[in-house]
Amino acid sequence: MATVTAPLPGVQSHEENKLRISDYLKWSVDHKIIGVQYMVTSLIFFVIGGALVMLVRWELLTPALDLVQDGTQFNQLFTMHATVMIFLWIIPMFAGFGNYLIPLMLGAKDMAFPWLNALAFWMIPPAGILMLLGYFAGQAEAGWTSYPPLSTLFSPGDGQTMWAIAIHVLGLSSILGALNFIVTIRNMRAEGMGYFQMPLFVWGILATSLIIVMATPFLAGGLTLLILDRVAGTAFFNPAQGGDVLLWQNVFWFYSHPAVYIMVMPGFGILSEVLSAHSRKSIFGYRAIALSSLAIALLGFTVWAHHMFTSLMPSLRIPFMLTSMIIAVPTGIKIFSWIGTIWGGKIRLTSAMLFGLGFLSMFVIGGISGVMVAAVPFDLHVHDTYFVVSHFHFVLYGGSVLAIYAGVYHWYPKITGYMMDERLGKIHFWITYIAFFFTFFPMHMLGMLGMPRRVAVYAPEFQSLNAIVSISAFVLGLSTFIFLYNLVYSLYKKRIAGPNPWRVLTLEWATDSPPPAHNFHGDPVFFKNPYGFGTEAAYRYLEEQEKELGPSYPYTMEPEKRSVVTAPASTGD
Amino acid sequence: MNHPKPENNQRHGSAGISLVWVIAGGVVIVVGGFLISLFTPSILPRAGSAQAVLIDDLFRVMLFIGGAIFILVEGLLLVSVIRFRARKGDRGDGPPIPGNTTLELVWTLVPAIIVAVLSIYSFVVWNQIEVHPPEALQVDVVGQRFAWTFNYDAATDELPPNVDMTRVPEELAATLNNGDPISFSHPQLHTWLNHPVTVSMSSQDVNHAFWIPGMRMKQDLLAGRVTTLSFTPIETGVFRIVCAELCGSGHGEMAGRVTEDGDLAGAWLIVHATEQEYLEQFYYPELEKILYPPEDPVLLGRQVIQNYPCAGCHTLSDLGWTGTTGPILDGVASRNARLAATGEGTMEAYLHDSIRHPGEYVVPGFNNLMLQFNPEPDQPNYMPDSDLNAIVAYLLTQTGS
Repeated sequence: MATVTAPLPGVQSHEENKLRISDYLKWSVDHKIIGVQYMVTSLIFFVIGGALVMLVRWELLTPALDLVQDGTQFNQLFTMHATVMIFLWIIPMFAGFGNYLIPLMLGAKDMAFPWLNALAFWMIPPAGILMLLGYFAGQAEAGWTSYPPLSTLFSPGDGQTMWAIAIHVLGLSSILGALNFIVTIRNMRAEGMGYFQMPLFVWGILATSLIIVMATPFLAGGLTLLILDRVAGTAFFNPAQGGDVLLWQNVFWFYSHPAVYIMVMPGFGILSEVLSAHSRKSIFGYRAIALSSLAIALLGFTVWAHHMFTSLMPSLRIPFMLTSMIIAVPTGIKIFSWIGTIWGGKIRLTSAMLFGLGFLSMFVIGGISGVMVAAVPFDLHVHDTYFVVSHFHFVLYGGSVLAIYAGVYHWYPKITGYMMDERLGKIHFWITYIAFFFTFFPMHMLGMLGMPRRVAVYAPEFQSLNAIVSISAFVLGLSTFIFLYNLVYSLYKKRIAGPNPWRVLTLEWATDSPPPAHNFHGDPVFFKNPYGFGTEAAYRYLEEQEKELGPSYPYTMEPEKRSVVTAPASTGD
Repeated sequence: MNHPKPENNQRHGSAGISLVWVIAGGVVIVVGGFLISLFTPSILPRAGSAQAVLIDDLFRVMLFIGGAIFILVEGLLLVSVIRFRARKGDRGDGPPIPGNTTLELVWTLVPAIIVAVLSIYSFVVWNQIEVHPPEALQVDVVGQRFAWTFNYDAATDELPPNVDMTRVPEELAATLNNGDPISFSHPQLHTWLNHPVTVSMSSQDVNHAFWIPGMRMKQDLLAGRVTTLSFTPIETGVFRIVCAELCGSGHGEMAGRVTEDGDLAGAWLIVHATEQEYLEQFYYPELEKILYPPEDPVLLGRQVIQNYPCAGCHTLSDLGWTGTTGPILDGVASRNARLAATGEGTMEAYLHDSIRHPGEYVVPGFNNLMLQFNPEPDQPNYMPDSDLNAIVAYLLTQTGS
């Protein structure tokens, strides 16, 4: 097998590789430390963004203004909620997963440009703080879409400018990170690893990175014009002086529609890993899943104006409807391929798997409502209503956030060396799953009934549905703390994971947990089919791996039962 | 060896699916999709326009297909979890099946055909609803923070029968004699059954979106542009008009409301049964208000103030206004403290200047949101001195606490 220079049993090496908390607060060029820095920073912003929306939902318990002083304050709350969740939670959280996992999955020692990697991360905390500090200067209040002239001539607060500058910096960070991923994936794969032997998570990050480097410069351009209009008296978006408000909408959505895929494609990647590993079955249609990511990345650039079906010239609406509809095809391929993956497998309902299945079951609702809003005539009714709010939360919460949870439960053992508490994980899943559904599903009905989005006051007949939404949202918010508690609790509980507790074939598991400074002991040898479950070769590979690296959970916890073949599956319930 | 050998007891590809199950599943999917498409549209408000009927039909078809796909996917997930869950103590793997080209082709082509059909159907519906008939009633819509104003034109041949030109103010009479139409404003959109209406929309400030949920139609107002929307009502009654594009602090209030007394306030669409009813109950009475303006400036002021978009932000019980973005106008004439604060000599002067230069008279605790109403016709937000004086006279009657 691999030429192992310093074979270290899993349990011992764990103690040697132990990192202190202070290591994570410093400048470091180790991709694993940067990955954790991304994730923890994002989690902090997740809590902030969640707290903001709790206030929004509290206000919406009644049809009249009560919690907030005026509509401006309400607008500031949801503007910051959306911006924080998109630019400071989902995007950097996935960047964290990518940073931690990509070099490991490729068998590399680090990212291609470690120093640049650290720079990209360290742009995020100051940008986030700058954005939040806008509170003291008149917080951004024009929605995360920031349509002029509302965001220019009619938003006097300097917070709006700070908001734009912060997003500018976050965009730059995102571009630098994406370039790093592309070069790493292109150049640093293990000896002999072809593109079609990479784990699908790597494909997800590759497609995402390609979108980021192509789309984010447009956001930067748009923001530059917006900032100039605000501070330098230019009139790019001021029709009274020859500007055009639709210019912003086109440029903004040319970035922000692909950004939806930036926010969900890494989740697709996580899902492919989790579903295959926890149902012990090969991914179904590897090439279809990998290539459909590229297809979505490409098609994603042709659909931006479906966000403008009620503002765009009527004659231009139909072409954008066609391209938007086509995207349903590669998305459908993925969904059915994942069902093909678990079908006939030996499914272990671990917390990671539950969140993976939760993703599949909820994301499909977002996909179906996505096709509905792509149809121009129906969109004329539901555009800018709670129907759309529901649609994109099914994609971004039911999709991205549930995928993040699945990913954390799946890779936490690798990152920390300890198993997460499964009982807490399952409680977390069920409360989140049910509260999620009752938070977002009734929003479809509110939109159909006639409730526009972004309103602080609404017609009294919508109150009962809004109450259901708000109360479910509070439960959903509280359920997050079970997860956060589990993250810390499992660190103290110290159930040693060992190198490969899920017995997975991808390379990140072919080393200690957590991995040593340069990831592998010697050159890692990859298994040529990362999803080759159920083959003799895979069993032999895993056996060899265990001989070299030591036992994994549950054997690490029950050494006296090593000889019992029918020990309870670690991954069962 | 710790691990059992891989099991290959399931047939390759079909994974043990029998024809009976496929047929049963197919029936459940079709019936379920049908039921979803049957019951879900009842959530929608009643379809008030010809366009709404077409859009709802499209929605039904999408619900049927979407509902069927939903049941298919969730059903497959449930069956997988129940049937293929690892039994206790089973540490084995599933069969090594990397894919199935036929199956993958099916789930590529079938969705492709579905979205192609939906696209064609949507295009057909679009061509039927996106029409602007020349005979349509034309109404100009002005959106501003946070109210809608509807401007109706009246040419010489559209005046009320037996119009008494001797009572018409000189200015209006001169306009009519020139062959030009006169116009009046109203906070509601009136029309009649089975006749198309086209609204031409412009914004005074930021972007808005004109939405009538009952008509299923929506169109953004874009600063610096004029946009249009046409629909044909097929139901009589009142339909709420809503702003659907974020426009600032009072965005949620830029919509039709029902007051505590059950009166309609804010923007509503009112569909009369016949053109005759429209003319007699709305058009002629409203025209007569400007053709024969009251002599009493207070009455005149009470009438003309309703032509301006004040209701979106201000509360004024006398007129049923409930806006909250601006200061309450109930008892405004008694707030003598504002005179001292602004250095104005009389309440009349204070009210007059506050409307002409609102930015210099912002009441503490409120934002500088109010439009500046200008005295010249070529300026934006034109308010002639005659209107202003009447409005001030009316507001001076609003005393109390």
